[in-house]
This record gives sequence, structure tokens and C-alpha cells, in this order.
Amino acid sequence: MYPSPIEGYVAPTTVDEAVAAFARWGEETHYIAGGQSLMQAIKSRMVRPKCLVDLQKIDVIQGIHQEPASIRIGAMTRYCDIADSELLEGPFAALVDGAGHVGDRQVRHRGTIGGSLCWNYISACMPAVNLAIGSQLTLASLSGQTRAIDIEDFLGAPLETSRQEGELLLSVELPQIVGRAGSAYRKWSLMTDGLPVIGVGAFLQLDDVGSCSSARISVTGLESGPIRVLTAERALIGVSHSNTKGIEEALNDSSTSLDTHSDEEADAEYRRVLFRHLGRDVVTRAFMRALGNRE
Amino acid sequence: MNTSVSITINGIAYERSIPIRMLLVDFIRYEAGLTGTHVGCTFEGACGACTVHLDGDAIKSCLVLAVQCDGRWITTVEGLAEGSELHPLQIAFNEHHALQCGYCTSGLLMTGVDLIEKDSELNEEKVRHGITGNLCRCAGYSNIVDAILSVARARTHEEEV
Repeated sequence: MYPSPIEGYVAPTTVDEAVAAFARWGEETHYIAGGQSLMQAIKSRMVRPKCLVDLQKIDVIQGIHQEPASIRIGAMTRYCDIADSELLEGPFAALVDGAGHVGDRQVRHRGTIGGSLCWNYISACMPAVNLAIGSQLTLASLSGQTRAIDIEDFLGAPLETSRQEGELLLSVELPQIVGRAGSAYRKWSLMTDGLPVIGVGAFLQLDDVGSCSSARISVTGLESGPIRVLTAERALIGVSHSNTKGIEEALNDSSTSLDTHSDEEADAEYRRVLFRHLGRDVVTRAFMRALGNRE
Repeated sequence: MNTSVSITINGIAYERSIPIRMLLVDFIRYEAGLTGTHVGCTFEGACGACTVHLDGDAIKSCLVLAVQCDGRWITTVEGLAEGSELHPLQIAFNEHHALQCGYCTSGLLMTGVDLIEKDSELNEEKVRHGITGNLCRCAGYSNIVDAILSVARARTHEEEV
């Protein structure tokens, strides 16, 4: 567990300098964000970087910002800052749920939302949370152009994203909220705050009478990578927070079609059980948050 | 490839030429000669024995390259005491018998101090959640939690008085 020799290290202070450094060093160059996953891969020599472009000094991609229409989270914002944020309540509280239980205290002091999304580990929390919320990502290319992309189009199979070679994730924009909305995320791990065997995210928007008008349900811990559970989302429409039977049925029915796998942590059927239980909990909590009820 | 860094550890700046791949924990142990920071899990990032403070935040020094800490401040377990006066948490570890073999102790002290300094309303659940990144294989967690809570409570009491 020790890195192979690394030829170059650059710590730019601007995005332009970062992509220029990446272009200059070429193949086997890696951006390093918080490094809490990447350093593991580097130490096990699964990744042997020629050069590391360290993003920690680039101020413009840090912090949680209230913009006129929406909230923008810089890609280099750490888990601990998301977990403590007062801006991320109600509609976006799933981010707080997720970030507050990633890894451990030390990891949350270094690890970042952007790093987690770009790494897209099989059972990471941030991809599933953002998939539920429906975040939009902004990336800068090697030629300096920026593009916006929906989280669905960004995340692929585990460890895969549609990020191009040298592209740099700048920020995560949260959707504009009209009316009442709430979100929640919960995972089940073998150890406290460990990687989830299954994690479920829920984002609900409510109509005037408090029934669900649109739902986004995501799940992590599947071999396919994080996915939305469309059957559950459809079944939740029109359901109210007090309709526990309706919530239960939506999750029970959709769990049967969930493509789960068996491994040493849990068998396929148990993963479906976890999805149902965690799903009920996060949907109920998302309702409560949308309705402004204290937990 | 070597590179020059200046890393301040416990108030002393260490200027060295080091390989880029050097981990912070190795810089602390071999370049600064401060061996209180331990390596428990052969650098897998699982045990927390190498926990130090980077600009005031508890981090695992085996999950960061030394070069990433150029120009920054590190506090290690050697930096907790003021002269010959131990940090209150070090005294509490002694009083509560919060160590047996002592291997995890430096890491747990650094995580414990981070918790105490950042949360003025610590309780048992928060402490237990807060130290999940530190393994103690003598399984002395109860005493460790007691020690951290005793210092947190003493602080709260001082503030009230």
C-alpha cells in the first residue's frame, strides 16, 4: 500500500490553470479532490498517476452558494461543510443525511461532493443523493469551454461517468423549488457510516393539498451503479403522507423488479428487503420535511 | 521526482526536499522525526492511528500526500501538551484508563480533541459516532468515550461558571 513514483504535482489556483496543467502533462494525469478514494487507489497501485493536479487551492469551486434562482455547491465542497450547512434544509436535506454519514469524521474533513460524483463508486452515497434530487452539473473542458449536464446523464456504471478526459467538474446546481418539496437519504451498512449495502434517496414535490405531485427515488449499492426506481416514483404520485399503505405498496411493488445481486455482505433478496425498509423511511421523512414538520 | 515543501508541524517549519509520492504520515515520522503518529493498518486508511490535525481539522495522514500540505499547519499528538503540562484529554485518558497497549491512543486523542473543540454539546452518541474512524483493538471504547466526555463536561462546566 504505497504509491508508485509520481513525476509531477501541480496545485493551481484557477480552473484555467488546472485544465492547462492537465493538458500539459497528458496521459495518466489525475485531478485530485479530497483524495479519500483516489489515494486508496493510488496506494494500491490500481491508479499509477504520472502527475497529480490538486484542486484544493481553487477557491471558485468551493462552498455552498445561494444564487438568485437556486443553490450552487462547488465541486470541492467537503462532506463536513455539507453536513453542517444551514442552506441545505427541507428540499435538499438528503444531502445533509448523506454527507453526515460518509466514512468517518476524518474522511468528511477531506472528502468532497465533486470527488465522490466523479469517482462514482459502486455504493457511494453522493451519486444516489444527487440522482434523487435531480442536480445539474457544470464541467469545464480541456479547451476551457463549460457544459451543463443532468446527473442522470453524468453517472454511469460503477466507477464510470460521462466525464471526458481532462474535464473538470466545477459545481453542482440544485433544482429550483416551486411549492413544497422535501428529500431524505438513508443507508444500511455493515459498520457505522460504512459504505452502504443499500442506500435509498427520495425527493418529493407536493401539490396544494399535500399529496405527492412528483417523486424521484434513487438507490445505490447495485451492480448497475446508482439508478432511479421509476416504478416507485410513478406509484407515489397522488399519495399523501398519512397514506402509509400507499407508500408501502409503492416500495414493495417496485422492489420486486429491482435487479439486486448477492455477495458476502447480503443476498439479493435481503437487498430488496433493505430497499423496502429504507425506502419507506426516506419517503416518510421527505414528506415530513416538505410539510415543514420537525423531526 | 522530488519537490521542495515547507510544512509546519507543532509550530516548527520543516523545509525538505521529498519525493512527490511521500505520504504525510511518513513525512511526520521520518522527516520530522515525530513518531507519536502511528501507522496501524499499513496505509489502508482504515484504523485512524495516523490521525493528525491539518489546519485544525482531524484527518488521516496516510490518505494525504505530504506535498499537498506544503505551506499548511499540522498538529500531531506531540503538539497537544503545553511544555510539561499535558492536554486535559491526555490527563483524562490516564484517569479513565482509556488506553491499554497505547497503539491507537495518539489517533484517538487527535480525534477526541477535534470533537471537543468543535462541539460544545457533546454526548455519548455524538462521541461514539465521532470516533468511528479510529480502531482500538484492546476494545477499550467505553473508557475512551468516558475520557472524552469528561473533558467535554468539564469545559461546559467552566463556561457556566
